[in-house]
Amino acid sequence: MIPTIGHAAILIGLALTAYAGVAFVLAARGSGDRLMASGRRAVISSFVAALVGCAAMVISLLAHDFSVLYVAENNATTTPPFISAISLWAALEGSILFWALLATGWTSVVLWRNRDRHRALMPWVGATLAAVNLFFFAVMTWPGNPFTLTAPVAAEGIGPNALLQNHPFMALHPPLLYLGYTGMAVPFAFGVAALATRRLDEEWLRIVRRWTLVPWIFLTLGITAGAWWSYEVLGWGGYWAWDPVENAALLPWLTATAFVHSAMVAERRGGLRIWTVALVIFTFTLTLVGTFLTRSGVVASVHSFTQSSIGPWFLGAIVLALTGSLTLLVWRLPELIGGGRPSGLVSRESAFLLNNVLFLGLTFAVLFGTLLPLLVAVVSGDTISVGAPWYTAVAVPIFVALLFLMGIGPALPWGTASWTTIRERFALPVILAVVVVGAALALGLREIGSLGILGLAVMVAAIMVHEVVRGADARARGRGEDPLTAAWRLTTRNRRRYGGYAVHTGVLVMAVAVAVSSGLASDVTVTVEPGETARIGAYEIRHDRLVVEPLAADARVIETRAEITYSGPQSGTLRTALRDYPNSAAAIATPAVRTSLGEDLYVTLLASDPDSGAVTLHLFVNPLVVWIWIGGAIVGIGSAFAIWPEPKARRVTVEQAQPAPATASVEGA
Amino acid sequence: MRALRWLLVPLIVVPVALLLLSGFGRDPREIASPLIGRPAPEWSLTTLDGETLAADDLAGRPYVVNFWASWCIPACVDEHPVLAAAHERYGDAVAVIGVLYQDAEADAEAFLRRHGDAGYRHLVDERGGLAIDYGVTGPPETFFVDAGGIVRGKVFGPMTDAIMSEHLAAILPAGSR
Repeated sequence: MIPTIGHAAILIGLALTAYAGVAFVLAARGSGDRLMASGRRAVISSFVAALVGCAAMVISLLAHDFSVLYVAENNATTTPPFISAISLWAALEGSILFWALLATGWTSVVLWRNRDRHRALMPWVGATLAAVNLFFFAVMTWPGNPFTLTAPVAAEGIGPNALLQNHPFMALHPPLLYLGYTGMAVPFAFGVAALATRRLDEEWLRIVRRWTLVPWIFLTLGITAGAWWSYEVLGWGGYWAWDPVENAALLPWLTATAFVHSAMVAERRGGLRIWTVALVIFTFTLTLVGTFLTRSGVVASVHSFTQSSIGPWFLGAIVLALTGSLTLLVWRLPELIGGGRPSGLVSRESAFLLNNVLFLGLTFAVLFGTLLPLLVAVVSGDTISVGAPWYTAVAVPIFVALLFLMGIGPALPWGTASWTTIRERFALPVILAVVVVGAALALGLREIGSLGILGLAVMVAAIMVHEVVRGADARARGRGEDPLTAAWRLTTRNRRRYGGYAVHTGVLVMAVAVAVSSGLASDVTVTVEPGETARIGAYEIRHDRLVVEPLAADARVIETRAEITYSGPQSGTLRTALRDYPNSAAAIATPAVRTSLGEDLYVTLLASDPDSGAVTLHLFVNPLVVWIWIGGAIVGIGSAFAIWPEPKARRVTVEQAQPAPATASVEGA
Repeated sequence: MRALRWLLVPLIVVPVALLLLSGFGRDPREIASPLIGRPAPEWSLTTLDGETLAADDLAGRPYVVNFWASWCIPACVDEHPVLAAAHERYGDAVAVIGVLYQDAEADAEAFLRRHGDAGYRHLVDERGGLAIDYGVTGPPETFFVDAGGIVRGKVFGPMTDAIMSEHLAAILPAGSR
């Protein structure tokens, strides 16, 4: 009964979405508001349909209803309720159902929030989003039906993917990432709408910047949570492996970040219109390519689901989206060329431009590395893989250059910078950076890369602090406010600018943490008998005993566990285990991570001898890793601050009083 | 020039589509075996029925070694009838040997009860030594060894009738096909 309701909900969703699409296209051709409202209601109803579908799946999972193939393949009677519920996105069909929920959710929110605004754009936005949603419903109707039934019904299911059962982060990482992915359809839809209606103007840029930043936040948090999950679960002591699927999430993030920056130039100085709309198109296409790579099993990855027949569907969607949007772009090309105001060589515009070149360069490099195995297989038939060292060699210099730009860009004036301005704004930070690097050298830090990042970080941070102080100071003197009030008002009334600074601060924190943790991490592999000790860094680790027993939460899972006492900068006991899941060939590591602000102690069990109780452990001391997650959180909070809606009454006054260009470098962003 | 800009669309779309399209029908984990053309690994193991079987016992006969597991679903279930059919058709001419890949004996026996036991023998490779010798990365993987004990073929992923007859042709002595 429940599966039937779920299946029916998908079919109803398909019909509603198709109807909405037609209604929006007719509305776009001038048939008025009633069709628009009707289409909007259909979209919201399709969201409800997707919600019913998801609920039906979750209920089936919780009830262990093995008549549904998806449940039989991803659930067992012993699966705990929490894991059962999040198994909605543990495999292909369920995650598509979940995607449909998020995609229709985004569409509903966009259409509802703009029900009285942007009347020319919205029909096209609705039509484009309906087309995207239609794709998800069609995939669920034909090649990837989540409610496919089996007969005879098995008494026991296979159980969820072992890796997904191991950590509560599995409840967080995919939804955040999917919210980011599906949300990138919104700026794409606005891009198509603007091209179709010839309204690629400042208004468009303002809307799209905001609607890109929202999914961008989710994408950022999703990627960070994924790195954290990988660190806590996979047991190799690291957090980023340049796995194809990690790259697939990074690619749209890179182009979206480039867009957010180029949109600022386009909004402020005009021009760059082809560029900005192309970035929006590529961002969306890259989310599809990412999904294609993840879901079709074309590229080897820890994330790959089993090969399935939805691959060609996704390929079709990629081709359709690219062809359609590029055709529109080429069609409007003559009207989009030109329009920018000239600017000097050393100016904020050139910093932004260089920023975009670097982001695009990185996008291309990562895309190239990800697709190279495919290309080589076609050309020579060989199987190759592109490893982390290659990516590091390519990406690190680009990241360092971006970090440098991040520091100087916001402090450069629009237009042309004079030498006086440059001296005034950069002299102090540069001196500070030189002093800190000198101090670090004196303290014994010798690694060039880490020194460089440290110096850059100090410089960038000093520039940002200097900017805030300068702005607050001007405000305090001009309006007679005390410095703290002035600083608060300055930042809350220029949310975009100072939210951006907060984001940059978060990125800085992450950059330093990544540089230090990859440069100064130490690890050692030891084999110890019970009672014996081993040392890593300042820690002493004693192996107390080896325990092999079924897991309390799920008796089908056998845990082989080392119980360990550690002392040093942190002390206590920990348990590190290997778990044998009935449906997994390899035992799944459950590393123990003891986190502190300074460093993490990370212990993975590699092997054990049940007769003697001896264990082989991989010990890591990873400095500053926790700051990567903290940096990610700062980025999230900063960007939320930047896009936080202004109070209604104030927004009116802001729109009336356009800031004069002369104050632009302090006010506004 | 105005017409030329339209070329942009196919110039971007077609290579992307072709590249991604080429990924289909190819498994990234599929790696050609270095064993092909070389003598098959030696072994002596216990079967599910408890008897001892060694590679030498099969000398002079072509044989098929299929690594599988009860938890390998759906691939191992899908290919099971193909192997059963081959065993029935060729009987003594070609030995079909199953090898349990990281699987419990009880689970494997339950699998055979549920999906049909064609009667060919299954080796219990408890320590995984044979899988390592053959370089198995994940079930199902199937190797074809000719009468001279030389590995002639490797199939990665589920077996189908077509793939089976193609590879059998390479190890069957001429005239017996």
